[in-house]
Amino acid sequence: MNLEIFVLVVACINLAVVLEFVRRRKLAESFALLWTGVAVGAFVLILARPVIDRFSSFVGIESGTSVVFSLAILFLVIVNIHLSVHVTRLDDRVEELATEIALLNGIRHPDGDENAPDGSR
Amino acid sequence: MSPTEGSPAAADTLVLIPALNEQATVAEVVHSAREALGCDVLVIDDGSDDDTAAQAVGAGAMVVRHPFNLGVGGAIRTGMRVASDQGRRFVLQLDADGQHEPLEAKRLLDRVVVDGADLAVGSRFGNAAYDVSWGRRTMMRLLARTISRRIGVRIDDTTSGFRAFGPAAVAEFRRDYPTEYLSDTVEALLLAHDAGFTIVVEPVQMHPRQGGVPSSGRTRSAVRLLRLWLVILIHPVRAERRRRAADEP
Repeated sequence: MNLEIFVLVVACINLAVVLEFVRRRKLAESFALLWTGVAVGAFVLILARPVIDRFSSFVGIESGTSVVFSLAILFLVIVNIHLSVHVTRLDDRVEELATEIALLNGIRHPDGDENAPDGSR
Repeated sequence: MSPTEGSPAAADTLVLIPALNEQATVAEVVHSAREALGCDVLVIDDGSDDDTAAQAVGAGAMVVRHPFNLGVGGAIRTGMRVASDQGRRFVLQLDADGQHEPLEAKRLLDRVVVDGADLAVGSRFGNAAYDVSWGRRTMMRLLARTISRRIGVRIDDTTSGFRAFGPAAVAEFRRDYPTEYLSDTVEALLLAHDAGFTIVVEPVQMHPRQGGVPSSGRTRSAVRLLRLWLVILIHPVRAERRRRAADEP
């Protein structure tokens, strides 16, 4: 029974932290949804323990805990890949923006060069 | 417009000098480039926190400034946009640390202006590397062999930042130029080859750096090199995808 209580507490903390971040607008709702999903998933796991045990013996893994761990790790890996893709896109955008800003800020021309080209050829 | 001391192509040419904290050398490089080529010079200040921009302007260059460091590739991309916006047909890329000889720049530029090549790369003679470790030399050689085979032109110095671009290359690279470290030199070659450009290699001599700090530590360069190999390996598939995307209306 201790395990269930432990998981319950952790899931509640998870949920509270996520909701607090959303409240302070430090976390986008879409990401909040993801992590809320994780907390809910933990609740489900508590209730579904017999199912997990049956499933694990069906796949041939001895303990249900291992199954949960494997799935959790798999899930985290997928989330990480997704975030990396996201960061890559942000990176590209930042780069593009920096280039645009550089061009918008304009070109400094040589001091006292009356022949300075102005780009209007 | 600018004085056309040299060939009539001088006004059509923009010299790009990416510079990051090169206050010690940039003025001299700008000066000698203008003297030797008679072209306008654009220094792309890649987020320097020293006096690079002022030094460059003082030496008679135009300067455009990145808000923060984007790397050499990013600088070239910015430079290509400026060149293309100004209607320049030719671009010469030069290092700000004085490694490249302006007189050789003339020769390099002539390969695109006179001979009509799309991309000319200044390559050091064979392995005339002065300070290079065994591992690095082997790596460079392997890189050279792989890239040479891909693009069908023998090139020893794939990471050379001493290049001249013709009108088609300026138009192509205006749209996009690889910005990641090492991609800006090596991947650009592959992209040029995909675009069907004529690539020529011009043997040049290079000076040791006159100033500035060489970039990055060991682990970091190893990761970057590994990344580059991934780019090279995956490139044929990407090229295929890009072609198909271009075919679709």
